[in-house]
Amino acid sequence: MRKLFIVLLMLVTAGLLVNLTSLKNAQTKEKHPDVDFSVSCVECHTEVTPDVVKDWKSSKHGEMNFGCYMCHGDGQQEFYARPGSQRCISCHPAYEVDFSKTKASNCFDCHQGHTLKFHKTDE
Amino acid sequence: MSISRREFLKVSAAATAASTIGVSLLPGMQKELFADGLNWHKSVCRFCGVGCGIMIGEKNGKVVAVKGDVKNTINKGHLCVKGFYLHKVVYAKTRLLHPMIKKNGKFERVSWDEALDYVAKKFNQIRKQHGPDALAFYGSGQAETEETYIANKLFKGAIGTNNMEGNPRLCMASAVGGYLTSFGKDEPAGTYADIEKAELFLLVGSNTAEAHPILFERIMRHKAKNPDVKIIIIDPRKTPTDQVADLHLFPKPGWDLAILHAMARILIKEGYADENFIKQSVNFKDNKKNLTYEEYKQFLEQFTPEKAAQISGVEPDKIVKAARMFGKAKTAMSMWTMGLNQRTRGVWANNLVTNLHLITGKIGVPGSDSFSLTGQPNACGGVREGGGLCHLLPAHRSVKNPKHRAEVAKVWGVPVSNIQPKPGKHTVAMFEALNKGEIKGIYIMCTNPAQSLPNASKYWKGLKEQFVVVAESFFPTATTDYADVVLPAAFWSEKEGVYGCTERRSQYMEQVIKPQGEARWDAFILRDLAIKMGFKKYFEKYKTAEDIWSEYISLTKGTDMDLSGAPYSRLKKLRGITWPVPSVDHPGTYKRYTKGDPIFDALPAAKKKGRRMYFYGKPDGKAVVWARPPKGPEEPTDAEYPLALSTGRVLEHWHTMTMTGTVPELVRAVPKAYVEINPQDAKKMGIEDKEQVIVETRRGKLKIEARVIDRPEPGTIFIPWHWKQWMANILTIDAFDPGSKEPEYKVCAAKIKKA
Repeated sequence: MRKLFIVLLMLVTAGLLVNLTSLKNAQTKEKHPDVDFSVSCVECHTEVTPDVVKDWKSSKHGEMNFGCYMCHGDGQQEFYARPGSQRCISCHPAYEVDFSKTKASNCFDCHQGHTLKFHKTDE
Repeated sequence: MSISRREFLKVSAAATAASTIGVSLLPGMQKELFADGLNWHKSVCRFCGVGCGIMIGEKNGKVVAVKGDVKNTINKGHLCVKGFYLHKVVYAKTRLLHPMIKKNGKFERVSWDEALDYVAKKFNQIRKQHGPDALAFYGSGQAETEETYIANKLFKGAIGTNNMEGNPRLCMASAVGGYLTSFGKDEPAGTYADIEKAELFLLVGSNTAEAHPILFERIMRHKAKNPDVKIIIIDPRKTPTDQVADLHLFPKPGWDLAILHAMARILIKEGYADENFIKQSVNFKDNKKNLTYEEYKQFLEQFTPEKAAQISGVEPDKIVKAARMFGKAKTAMSMWTMGLNQRTRGVWANNLVTNLHLITGKIGVPGSDSFSLTGQPNACGGVREGGGLCHLLPAHRSVKNPKHRAEVAKVWGVPVSNIQPKPGKHTVAMFEALNKGEIKGIYIMCTNPAQSLPNASKYWKGLKEQFVVVAESFFPTATTDYADVVLPAAFWSEKEGVYGCTERRSQYMEQVIKPQGEARWDAFILRDLAIKMGFKKYFEKYKTAEDIWSEYISLTKGTDMDLSGAPYSRLKKLRGITWPVPSVDHPGTYKRYTKGDPIFDALPAAKKKGRRMYFYGKPDGKAVVWARPPKGPEEPTDAEYPLALSTGRVLEHWHTMTMTGTVPELVRAVPKAYVEINPQDAKKMGIEDKEQVIVETRRGKLKIEARVIDRPEPGTIFIPWHWKQWMANILTIDAFDPGSKEPEYKVCAAKIKKA
């Protein structure tokens, strides 16, 4: 019984941390490096983070040309280095998940942020 | 970061639940996790003509979020990048909050009474001194049907001028002309439901991925699930839509009509024609007379693949391949937009696409249709159906028809003599008349013609010299620069009303919040102006939006676009309904002119005997296959101006950017305009990527950044037209289609040099 209690406590704590982190990510404005903002996100990131852009282009978002700003903000007024799930839900309300009933705490626990594929299985 | 005790408990409970249950998603486990404390309201996207359902998240009287409406059949919850940020536009810093009158060259804030008294006085003076035709109204495919309806009544029914136009003249008029001449009635026969049933898509002059992204997504998903689905594109430029294309034909801009004739020739010659359908439901005509089927075949003989290749610049084998793909597919859906409509032979281009469907019988059955894509959210509903053009009256009626004038005058409660039998001035003629001083006062609602007219700078003279009233949600715009009076208009989410989208679907939008500042609903601004002008008895009855809609749908009863079965009480519960919908228990119509269309179903059996389709807009119920000449653009390239300039759109911006220009994320995505130049041309001219160049046409010059990219074909350049500071429309040509009066934004001759 004591063992079960400890396991439960660990799980609760882990879950809480994940949830708090995702909450924090969604609400905190982080700072994007000060760059030439007259250049579009994709144009610049094609040079500075080509692998990320390649991943994104291979995804459904890339196919639809739904760019960096959809999840990360414009980089000046709003910037989310690691966005939470709230932004996903606007376009994907059919997948509005009750995370309290899953092992995941946000969309990106399962989906890689740029390819949108599942982390482990790569399906 | 702090967290409240309530949030702490909630998170702990969630974590506990996660740890104890520990399973993945199951049905019933979904809940509105992100909707805590938010009230969600049903609405429709404010941008293009697709008509996506949007849920507006409101909290304490403010719009704080949007999400796609999963119950909406069009987008099933998905949104594109513009719709995703729509809530931000509501609180743009550029919202116009108060009425203003220009005094001594500067705008001064005034009361609503002062503003409307001033406009009423000026309009009445002009009317008295120069007659009703010295006044004009220029509206929008973004206005609600109720708003356009009141404007129509004020100008055509009360003031007594048919100088009543709307910007759909600049985008959809050729599609209207195409449908009327081919089928006898405006608007498509099918709906979006055909997408998931189509085996082949023919996209002509349509960058669907950027201009209609949610429809593109539906096409993409359909193809992903059904790899045998084929997609053919006919467009002078490579675009993001190409990623799904099986075949792309690149004609020289404006020279594609011959391709469509050549495809028709191959379809008939190689046995893909539906001879029985042709016999039942098709007539043939050229510009002067009726033709027999044999005469039509003889006409087509000149359009061998080689001849079409010579005219269009497309390889003959690609034309043959396209025709065979179209012929072999059991079902085919054509889609087109500005690339066909914005042409001096836009109506003909529309006809020739529809010809392919009529000769193969690929129409009137699930998965087959010739389907025009609309650019604005209510171009179909408010302006085409509502009669917001200079030759129209509500519900597909015509000012020329005495019966139609009498029917409308009766419902409007105005003397029939008030409605003139002669059409007013179409858009280009209207702004020319403003230049000449023939029109001395204009009311512009929800649109930005100083930037969106072709050859725009030519028309600034009239806007500067005449009395201009602009009712807008945003300030400043290129047009408010010329206004004498600006009136703040309520924006999306601040008013209720109906939008009618591309697929004949009318959808109700809730008012969710109060208008910003002193903004008011356009229909009531017009109503109150009418009352101040002395038309109280015609307008005082309109107390609510529902009053206006109810009167409007009474005018649709018994017409081809019957909406009498779609009162507010029903629309509020539905995600829209596709007309004709003649009674409140009618489910709406999927396919027109065939079984299931209430008008077809009500036809006498003798008329329908042996016929799958009856085009009831034509006297004998037969649609027309047109033998149109393969005319090219008004201003072909030459030695002095060797490049064909085409203008168009990007995914992230919309029209003149009064809305998308207020969203930081969308501005970041595409911060500035550019001219796309093919690498071969750039090399010849010594132009490097990102270098500043001057693009020049016979009408103007524009300094702009070069983008050297293989999207345009050699000999062709492209500029996205959204930006005021890089105004592409100072370059475009204002020549227009003689039938539809729609200008040729898509083609003119240009040259480029280094800046």
